[in-house]
Amino acid sequence: MAHPVPLLEAPGPPATAPASAPVADAELVAQLQRGSEAAFRTLVARHQGRVYRTALALLRSPEEAEDVAQEVFVEVYQTIGRFRGEAALSTWLYQLATSGALKNRRRARAKKRLAYVTSLLGFNNAVLHHPPDHAHPLALLEGQQQLQLLLARVARLPDAQQVAFTLRHEQELSYAEIAAVLGTSVPAVESLLFRARQTLRQQL
Amino acid sequence: MSNAPARPAPDEEWDDLLRQLRAQPPAQPRPYFYQRVHARLAAGAPAAAVALPGWLRRPAYAVLLGGVVLALSGDGATFRPAARGGQAASSPRLLPR
Repeated sequence: MAHPVPLLEAPGPPATAPASAPVADAELVAQLQRGSEAAFRTLVARHQGRVYRTALALLRSPEEAEDVAQEVFVEVYQTIGRFRGEAALSTWLYQLATSGALKNRRRARAKKRLAYVTSLLGFNNAVLHHPPDHAHPLALLEGQQQLQLLLARVARLPDAQQVAFTLRHEQELSYAEIAAVLGTSVPAVESLLFRARQTLRQQL
Repeated sequence: MSNAPARPAPDEEWDDLLRQLRAQPPAQPRPYFYQRVHARLAAGAPAAAVALPGWLRRPAYAVLLGGVVLALSGDGATFRPAARGGQAASSPRLLPR
């Protein structure tokens, strides 16, 4: 059910930062639950970067990451009434961003498989253009290219390992924070990261 | 004797790679992100009401669908043993020893 925050007026220019100390996330959430649009605007401004970067790290497409980030904040707005503050707001946002990005990717893969099967069966005459694969080990020997190779290999990890690796090495979250996002224990996160690093080091 | 420079240890290479990963410039969404979220929220409000397919929102079709599901679920078979219940009670079968 949509939270009854009035958002009918067109958004004006971004609010200027208050001179006092920034409002804590918990207070922002409370204000948003009371229907404050200013609180929602502040919340988006404060967290849009991390939500977008998390989605981008998992999808590697700015357009898809933007789409997921928008979806995250729409969901926050619609379900903020049910947020009880048991976890940090940032943890909830990371959860929404990672699950949204993974769902988006699964959908894209399913669509790609369907397009492939359709093309095999000859239902359409469209030629499938595969994106050029720049991830050939011989083509990726130095510097930035090595990084691109790493990112390509990270994208092939199982979902949980990929999320753990991304949150640790790109978003620089602590093990405890990653455990909260994934809804698991710190030893489980350590295990996920160990297996992810092991796989990646074997492949690089 | 080779003049090639000493290759760094694998651990060093790996750490360097992770450093590069962390040192990437922080990406940000395009400007006016909030305005796009706002527009999406405004557009999404009526869309939520039509989340069900149109045909499912017509009561006649919904009832028909329910009937088809019931017919295919095999629940009709439960009525037959009930009808034969009296006959079974009057002539109990002995259990095999």
